[in-house]
Amino acid sequence: MESGPEQTEPEKCADWNPVERVILERRSVRSYKDKQVPEATVRRILEAGRFAPSAGNCQPWKFIVIRDREMIDEMERHVVRLCKLVRFFLDWRTSPLGRTIPLMLTRISARVMPNLLHPIPFGALCLVADGKLKVFHGAPTLILLLKDKRGVSHPDVDIGCAGQNMVLAAHSMGLGTCWVGFVMLLKVGPKWKKQLGMKFPYAISEGITLGYPAGKPDGIISRETQEVDWFEGGTKRTVY
Amino acid sequence: MSYMTPKERLLIPTYDNEVYATTGRVAIDADACNGCGMCVKICPGKAIFLSGEKKEKKARMEEVFPQCMSCNDCAAICERDAISVTVTYDFGYFFKPLHRGPMSPPRKFEE
Repeated sequence: MESGPEQTEPEKCADWNPVERVILERRSVRSYKDKQVPEATVRRILEAGRFAPSAGNCQPWKFIVIRDREMIDEMERHVVRLCKLVRFFLDWRTSPLGRTIPLMLTRISARVMPNLLHPIPFGALCLVADGKLKVFHGAPTLILLLKDKRGVSHPDVDIGCAGQNMVLAAHSMGLGTCWVGFVMLLKVGPKWKKQLGMKFPYAISEGITLGYPAGKPDGIISRETQEVDWFEGGTKRTVY
Repeated sequence: MSYMTPKERLLIPTYDNEVYATTGRVAIDADACNGCGMCVKICPGKAIFLSGEKKEKKARMEEVFPQCMSCNDCAAICERDAISVTVTYDFGYFFKPLHRGPMSPPRKFEE
């Protein structure tokens, strides 16, 4: 391999700049204290989302903040019920329909919805249905991100930008966050669609839980390196 | 590194069969672990559990198909640095991970 920039030892890298430090130390937080986040802090986090980049500056988002414990619990019950229903048909390990038919159904469904039925969310779905994994992790505040379907080019990407801005802002203030994709199940059935205003042009995209973390979950960890193709000076090389 | 063969693209693996699916694995240093249970509480795959009495109460990993997605959250929350991910998750056929290198903490590159 050609000589590249010098790579320092991980232990010596204490001097990250503040933004890098927040990015590197952010972990998904799945256990929260009961203490509610002050309204001003949540407003400040929403401001970080408001100033995210978006295609053609179209800002194709609508944020919904939910801070009522009963409402969050009700949403959680709705998601758990649906997970149980999906599990009844698709989990070949526990389905009363036997092993063969559910396994066939899972394989067909995984072809149709490869992203939603990837083994990881499938496993999470089973844990949620079992009541082992909480959907909103007991967070006192939930921010839902709705996309405007008329947005320029790819509204979902803009939702990701706005959400990540908010997440990083929250972690810089000592809060914890976790992206919750299961909120997409709220669009099943009329109840939440009506209450949360999920009608054209808005569609639910993602959810972010927000709260003070229990323990100290943020920290630097190891992660897989990824292959990067690098074209320069008329040649191609691979870096990690 | 290679891409996928037509067969791999076509077939969906059975998620609970170790031939097609390897989940993540963590190594828990039993000497450093004090059994506080924070890792158990936050593990998204519920792959870690506590067992043992009093001083012997330690975090352990599920032996049979733990649903670990090698997220390293347990390593981050452990105040005694007793946990580290040793194996990252890997699925066969359609869900095969591509173009991954070895694990590494964040690196800093300087001219």
